[in-house]
Amino acid sequence: MQLFIGGAYAGKRAAVRQRFDSPRWHSAYDGKSLDAWRSAVEEGRSLVLEGWELWLEAELACEPDNDRIRSRMCDELEAIRALEDALGPRIVLIMLEMGRGIVPMDADDRRLRDLAGWLAQDAATHCEQVWYVWHGLARPLA
Amino acid sequence: MIAFVSGGARSGKSAQAEALAMRWHRARGGRLYYLATARATDGEMIRRISRHRETRGSGWTTLEEPVDLMAALDQVVPGSTLLLDCLTLWASQVLYGSGLDERQGLAMIDTMLSRARARNIALVVVSNDVNEEVPPRDAEVRRYLAFLQRLHRRVAHEAELAIQVVAGLPMYWKGSGKEGEAQ
Repeated sequence: MQLFIGGAYAGKRAAVRQRFDSPRWHSAYDGKSLDAWRSAVEEGRSLVLEGWELWLEAELACEPDNDRIRSRMCDELEAIRALEDALGPRIVLIMLEMGRGIVPMDADDRRLRDLAGWLAQDAATHCEQVWYVWHGLARPLA
Repeated sequence: MIAFVSGGARSGKSAQAEALAMRWHRARGGRLYYLATARATDGEMIRRISRHRETRGSGWTTLEEPVDLMAALDQVVPGSTLLLDCLTLWASQVLYGSGLDERQGLAMIDTMLSRARARNIALVVVSNDVNEEVPPRDAEVRRYLAFLQRLHRRVAHEAELAIQVVAGLPMYWKGSGKEGEAQ
């Protein structure tokens, strides 16, 4: 499993496309829910999961407890990782860096920012390779 | 030779970019230019501009141009070194202070990069990292951010040297900082 993280419009998708040959995309921007990733799996073809901040926002709307959201996301990451180990499709996570600005005035934005940061940390522990994307360039993080 | 230098507010981007432009200038000869995109519109901007000018010292020819980069480039003697500071302000002036749209703005950057190469002008472009916070809800701010990031990706792609500045120190994304010195 690999993670590509970077700011808004940093060129994360292009960085993935340069490194993976015609992967399947399971994207929150296309209205896909996180749960539905299982139906997107195709044997022998890599799978990109993107739009995690939207999936987090969906959780925020119906679950007041941050720890519960974090642990649910961790379970999901483990299931994704387990599937990769079992079936072999390479899985790519694309996540948005949003923690390097002023603390947001809006309480929901603060929650989203906290959860996005934790999610990225949790995802990184499950990945053998993590990339930081900066203005269209990508570098591996240790 | 093209360099892209970016980083957070007060990270030391300008100092890194100036030092690089001076190294290139020493190695290449020609003249050394500073292209300011800032408009001296109020007291704060005037103070920022004069602080930058004092720390730069002598030896620089200053050009001021908020939008029309080609008009500025046409004044530069071929074989020289030009520091453009900064793309962030220029992008806002294109969208909000000129009749140009994103496509025309991007085309202007493309033309500037290729014309600088054609005239053997070494170019150092400075900008700001502003895309790593919670994405703005406001559609207009998002439009600006999307435009600025297209510019950044384009310049970083074209550049031989791409530097992210953190606490005054350079992190090399492309190149090693030795480019353009041994000729």
